[in-house]
Amino acid sequence: MINFNFQKYLLASFVFLLLLFSGCKSKFELDENLRGFSFKLLDQDGQTVDFPTDFENKVVVVGFVFTHCPDICPLTVNNMQLVQNELTGKGETDDVVFVAISFDPARDTVPLLKKFAALREINEKNFRFLTGDRKITDSLMSTMRIVAVPEDSTIVDGTLSYFFTHTDRISLIDKKGFLRKEYSGSKANTSEIVVDIEKLR
Amino acid sequence: MFKLVTSLLLITALAPKIDVSSNWIRPNSKGTNTAVYAKITNKSDKADTLYAVESDLAKVTEIHESFDDNGKTGMRKVDFIVIPAKKTIELKPGGMHIMLIKLNKDIAKGKKYSLTYKFKRAGKVKVSAVASDKAPAKNTKPSKKKK
Repeated sequence: MINFNFQKYLLASFVFLLLLFSGCKSKFELDENLRGFSFKLLDQDGQTVDFPTDFENKVVVVGFVFTHCPDICPLTVNNMQLVQNELTGKGETDDVVFVAISFDPARDTVPLLKKFAALREINEKNFRFLTGDRKITDSLMSTMRIVAVPEDSTIVDGTLSYFFTHTDRISLIDKKGFLRKEYSGSKANTSEIVVDIEKLR
Repeated sequence: MFKLVTSLLLITALAPKIDVSSNWIRPNSKGTNTAVYAKITNKSDKADTLYAVESDLAKVTEIHESFDDNGKTGMRKVDFIVIPAKKTIELKPGGMHIMLIKLNKDIAKGKKYSLTYKFKRAGKVKVSAVASDKAPAKNTKPSKKKK
């Protein structure tokens, strides 16, 4: 009798764990481990940041941008800012970080990133803008499946002016360093991102 | 009676045929680029064409449109925008916009900046665009025909 009950208990536990496990997996379309990667970059304050290692134990909302972009990238950053504002309004935000990474490091210097944030009145408490060595940003973009191709170049006032055709993306990384979901950067549903962040907290 | 009819005709003739409203511009740093958005309403019975925008805010001012090609976004220059009779065309994020290349100064949130739209029929229309991350809640003051 005891054995039979014990078997039933084991079976029920197994089914419960299976459902729990499959339920967690079905929440997100991706489950890619980024923990082995290390991209050493600089933030808008000139501090060295190791992406994504330094953000372990935090949910990371990552956008891919260049500051000379007049239309699409500002939409992406603005969407990230809207998510940040919504979470801030709800209270605790220490376990969420927003990271905008430049694929145009030649022009996106540390002071320019700082100014970009200031002009948009971004709350920099948990919002980092990253730039760095071209080889490193290229490698990072490749890892995150971001394509950015310089195009539409013209000489303006004696210097080269160019734009990018680029992947329009915001990515979500969980606290363990796994890439879990990707969104359109400029057309993202910010409420959906907030809900997804809550699931990963 | 004659005076009244004449006055009405005069008022109608002097009324702006093109209205450029809801003008706003994205903040950005000197030396970079930014975009200007607006709603352009053609009140006349004939189509009109926006063919240029003048501004001392940047080295170059062009009409552009953003495009989405399977998740990859980019921009291209357009030579002009036709505004059909009695219709409104919106210059908006992710679509058509006025592109300011190599800004001569910082565009700071909350401040206003002037530009002049050039139409084939209506001529020059001067507007004031407020620097913001989003379109103004209400339509801005109607544009003024430049003398």
